[in-house]
Amino acid sequence: MTGSLLIQSLILGVLLGGLYALLAAGLTLYFGVMRVVMIAHSAFLILAAYLAWFASSTLGIDPLLTLVVTVPLFFGIGVLMQRLLIRRLRPATLTMMSVLLTFAIALFIEGLIGFVWGGTQRRIQLPYSSASIEIFGARIAVVKLIAFGLAALSLLVLYLLMKHTRFGQALRATIQHPEAAQLVGIRTDRVAGLGFGLGLATAALGGTALSLDATIYPSLHWHWIGPLMAIIVVGGLGSIPGAAIAALVLGVGQSLLQVPLGTTWAQTIFYVALFVTLMVRPQGFFGGRLAQRF
Amino acid sequence: MAQTTRRTRGTTHRGQALVAAASAAALLILTACSDADSSGDGGDDDPIVIGISLPLTGDFSEPGKGVQRGYEAWAQMVNEDGGLLGRQVELKILDDQSNADRVVADYEALIAKDEVDLVFGPFSTRLVVPSARIAQEYGMLFVEPAGAAAEVFEQGFDNLFYAAPAIADDHYNYLAEHILAMPEAERPTTVAVASMDDPFAQGTAYGLRDKLAEGGLEVLVDEVYPPNTTDFSPIAAKIADSGADVVIGGTQYQDAVNLIVALQQLNYQPQLAAFSTAPTNPEFSEAIGSKTEGILSPTGYTPEAAWPSNVDFVERYTEIHGNPPGEDEANAFTTGQVVAAAVEAVGCAEQGDCQQQLIDWLRDNEVETVVGPLSWDATGKPQGAHLMQQYVDGKIAIVLPEAAAEAAPVFPKPEW
Amino acid sequence: MPNASSTLATRSRGPAQTPADGARRSRRNRQIASALALVVGVAVVAVFPFAAPDAYVLSAGVVILSYACTATSWNFMGGFTGYISLGHAAYFGLGAYGTGIIVRDLGLPSFLAWALAGLAVAIITIPVGIAALRVRGASFVIVSIAFVLILLLVFQAWGSFTGGSSGLVVPRPFPDLMRPEHHRVFFYLFAALLAVMLTLWWAISRSRFGIGLKAIREDEDKAEALGIPTRNYKLVAYVVSATLTGLAGGMYALWFGDLDPIFQFSILLGSYMVLMALLGGIRNLFGPLVGAVIVGVALEIFKLEFGDTQFHLVATGLLLALVVLFMPDGIIPAVQAGLRRFGPQSSSIREMTAAELAERNAAAGVSGDSVFSGGPTPTPTPEEKR
Repeated sequence: MTGSLLIQSLILGVLLGGLYALLAAGLTLYFGVMRVVMIAHSAFLILAAYLAWFASSTLGIDPLLTLVVTVPLFFGIGVLMQRLLIRRLRPATLTMMSVLLTFAIALFIEGLIGFVWGGTQRRIQLPYSSASIEIFGARIAVVKLIAFGLAALSLLVLYLLMKHTRFGQALRATIQHPEAAQLVGIRTDRVAGLGFGLGLATAALGGTALSLDATIYPSLHWHWIGPLMAIIVVGGLGSIPGAAIAALVLGVGQSLLQVPLGTTWAQTIFYVALFVTLMVRPQGFFGGRLAQRF
Repeated sequence: MAQTTRRTRGTTHRGQALVAAASAAALLILTACSDADSSGDGGDDDPIVIGISLPLTGDFSEPGKGVQRGYEAWAQMVNEDGGLLGRQVELKILDDQSNADRVVADYEALIAKDEVDLVFGPFSTRLVVPSARIAQEYGMLFVEPAGAAAEVFEQGFDNLFYAAPAIADDHYNYLAEHILAMPEAERPTTVAVASMDDPFAQGTAYGLRDKLAEGGLEVLVDEVYPPNTTDFSPIAAKIADSGADVVIGGTQYQDAVNLIVALQQLNYQPQLAAFSTAPTNPEFSEAIGSKTEGILSPTGYTPEAAWPSNVDFVERYTEIHGNPPGEDEANAFTTGQVVAAAVEAVGCAEQGDCQQQLIDWLRDNEVETVVGPLSWDATGKPQGAHLMQQYVDGKIAIVLPEAAAEAAPVFPKPEW
Repeated sequence: MPNASSTLATRSRGPAQTPADGARRSRRNRQIASALALVVGVAVVAVFPFAAPDAYVLSAGVVILSYACTATSWNFMGGFTGYISLGHAAYFGLGAYGTGIIVRDLGLPSFLAWALAGLAVAIITIPVGIAALRVRGASFVIVSIAFVLILLLVFQAWGSFTGGSSGLVVPRPFPDLMRPEHHRVFFYLFAALLAVMLTLWWAISRSRFGIGLKAIREDEDKAEALGIPTRNYKLVAYVVSATLTGLAGGMYALWFGDLDPIFQFSILLGSYMVLMALLGGIRNLFGPLVGAVIVGVALEIFKLEFGDTQFHLVATGLLLALVVLFMPDGIIPAVQAGLRRFGPQSSSIREMTAAELAERNAAAGVSGDSVFSGGPTPTPTPEEKR
C-alpha cells in the first residue's frame, strides 16, 4: 500500500463515515425516544434519493434543491407514523411488533419504488459528476465533499438542537428516563412524535447526499440498514454521540480494509464489530445503562 | 382487542378443521386456475407459442429489455412474412426479476402448465444454467442469447445452443492478439483488472487478462466486486494508484458507468480501456457524460455487417424503433433465426419427439444469422470470435479484426 | 387430541371448573371433529400429487409445503418465546448450502449430507444465539437481520467454497426420475418433514420446557423470577428452530438443485416466514401451516396476474402491516372468535396474554404508564363477560 493510497482511503473513509454518522444518529434517535428499531429508516433514505433523482432528471433542477420539499415532508411523515401507527401497538410487545411494522413499511416503500420507477439502477448525471480537487495528494470528488458537508452540517444542527434548546432538553430527558420526564411535566408522547420526525428528516438529508454520487435501486436499502444497525449497537443503543463516533470509526475502518481485503470482505467489519460488541459489552461502547435491557 | 383473542379448548379443534378446509380449498383453487388457461393442443391453424422468461426488472433489466425488443422484433417480422410453417408465432414472456429461483418457476410454468411449443433462453449466465436444466428435463430444445460463460458448456447439457459468435473467454481474442503484436517499445506493460462477480463478466475480463499476462504484461490490480456494488471509489483508487497502462473492466452495465466515473474523478488516464457489455448499450455515452472517446468493447454484432439477413433486420428494426439494433437485440433475433431454421428444416414445432429432431438438426447444420453463419460443437459452444468496437470521434466503430474494421484502432486512448 | 396451544393459564385451572357433564360430552364431540379434520388434512396431502393437473401445479404445491416447513420451524422460536427473528433465511440458506457442499466435496449420499448439514446448522447457531440473546428484544432482531446480510456477503465473496455469485449446483438425489415424479417424491418428503415438525411442536408445547418458553413470551422478568433458566431455554428453542429451518433448506436444495446466495440469504424469504406464522397465528400448532397455504397460494396468483411488477412487495408489506396492527394473533383466533358466536357456549376457560391484561388494565386505569414495560405489574382481575 502506497502512502497516497492510504491517505486517499483515509479521506474516503471519513467522508463515508460522515454520512453513516448522520443516518445512524437518526436511527438511534427513534430507539431512544420510542424503543423502536426502525427498519424502514434506510428505505426512506433510498426514497429520498429517488425523489432527488426524479426531480433532477425530469425537472433538471439540482438534486440539493429537493431538500426544501423532502425534509419537511419526511418530518411530517415521521410524526404521523409515530402518532398513527407506532402508538397503536401494545406496549408490552412494542419492540417486536414495531420491528415488524417498520419492516413492513420498508417492504412497502421498496415495492412502491420498483412499481413507480422500475427495478433499473439509476444515477444522477451532474455537470460536476467527475470533477475532483486535490487534498494532501489525494483526489477527492467534488460530489463526495458536498455530500459530506451536508451530512456534517445536519449533524451539527442536530447537536445544537439537542444541547441548546428546550425541545432538545425534553428530548434528552425522554430518552434518559421517560417516566421521570413525565413527572417533571414533559409531554413525552408529543416529544416522541417530534423525535420520530427528526429521525426521518435525517433520512431525507442522507438520501439526497447519497444520490449525488451513487447508483440507486429499490432494494439498496438492505445494504444500508445492516451497517447502520451495527453502528447503533456498537455505539450503544439510544446514544447519538456514540452512534456518530462508531460511524466514523467503522467507516474509516471499512475504507482502509478495502485496500487489502476488497470491497465485499471489508463490509463484514460492521458485522464483526456487532458480534464482538454483543459478546464483550452488550450495552455498547458509548451507551449508558439504557441499552442494557434491550 | 382482547375479546377476539380469547380461546377455549373447543375452538382450537375447530381451528384444525379450518386448516383442513382451507388447504383443501387452496389446492382446489390452484387446480382450477391451471385448468382454465392451458393452451390448446396444436392444430394446424393455432399459433406456435414460444415461452420466454426475461429479467425485465432487477439487476439485469437493462440488457433484459434489449433481449425482449429483439425477440419481439423477430416475432413481428416472422409474422409479417407469413409465419413459421405457415402458422403465426406468439411470444409468451414472463418476468423473472433477475432471480434464478423465479426463472425456474417461469420455465416450469411455460412448459408444463402453458404447454408452449418452443422455448427461447433468458438473459445472463446465472439464469441460463438453471433454466437450461428445466428445459433438458422436459426434453426441450434450448437456444439462448446470453449464456456466454464457459461454465454453461461444462454442465453436460445436450439440448443447449448459444446463439452468438463466441463464448465469453474468447471475446477479447482479437484485442489480445493486437496488443501482443505491437512493437516492444509501444506495447503497454501493466494491467489493472476489475470485474463483477459474475460468470460472464469474469469470463470476458479474465480471458483478456490471462492472454496479456502470458504475453509478459504485469497484472498490478485484480479486483472482484459483488453485483450490487454501488460505491466504486475504493476500487478506482487502487487502479489509479497503480497507474496501470491498461484497464480491463469485466462489467455488465451500471457498474461500468460507475467505475468509469470514479476513475475520471481520480483523473486516471490509461493508455487503453476495455469494458464488456456496457459500451454496446445505446445509453452508455450519455450516462458517463459523453466522455467515451477511445473506450473499447467486444461485440458479437455490428449493424453495419453485410450478412444478407442483417441488412433486412437493421432496416426493418430501425423502422419500428427509430434506431438500429444493439447487441442484445441482435442476439435475441439470432436466437429466433436459429430456432426458425431448425423448425423449417424439420417441419414441426411442438413438445415431444419433435424437440429431439430439432436438437439433432442443429447439431449437424450451419445456420445463417444476422451475426454471420453459426455452428456448434457437441456442448453447444459456438465456433467463432467477437469483433472489437471502439468509440472513435464520438461514434462506435469496429476496429478489429482488420478484415472487418471500419476505422483504425486508436492508441493510446485520448484523455477522458 | 389435546389442545396444542394451551398455556399456563389453561393448565393451572383445568376442567374442574366447568360443569362436568356437558363438558365431557362436548369434548368427545370435539375430539371426533378434530380427528376427522386431521384425517381430511392428511388425505388432501396424500392425494394432491395425483390430483394435480400438471407438473407446474405440483411444483407450486412443493413450494407451499416448503414454506409451511420454514414457517413452522420459525414458530419454534417466534411462537414459543415471542422473539421475532427476521433472519431465519440465514439458516435456510446454511442448510441448503451445507447439503450442497457436503455432497459436492465429500461425495456423501444426499440424505446423509442433508442430516449432517442440519447438525452443522445447529452447531453454528449456538454462538450466534448466545450473541443474539445477550440482551433482550431489540438486539435480537438486529442480530437476526445482520446474520442474513453477513452470510449473503460471505457466500457471494467466498466463491471458491460456495460457488459465489454464479451459484452452486446440487446433484439430484434421484437422477433417474422424470421431473413430475421428482416433484411428487419431494412433495411427500416435505410433507413428512412437516409432520415431524408439527409433532415436535405439539410435544414441546405440552412439556415443562414448552411451558417455560411460553412464560418467557408472556413476561420474561416474572419467568426469570419463577426460576426458569430463561437464557438457556431461549437458546435451546433458538437452536431447535434454526436446525429445523436448516433441514427445510437442505430439503429445498435437494429438490430445487440450483442455489444462489441472493435468493438463499434473502431478507424477503425470512419475512415470508414471519408473515405466514403471524398471519396464521403464532400460538397455534397449525397457524404457520395455514399462513403458508394462504401466502403461498396468494404469491402464485400474484405471480400469474401481476408477474411483471414489483407489486408483490407492496402487497406483502401491506399485509404484514395490517396483520401487525389489527390481527397480531393471527387468522385462526380471529376466525374462531367469529365461529364462537354461532357455536355452543361450551366452556368458560379463558386464556389471556399478559399483554392483553396490561392493556385492559391500562384502559381501566389500573396501572400507570407502562409504555416502556417498566410500569407497575398488572394484576389479573377475575372477569366473566360471557
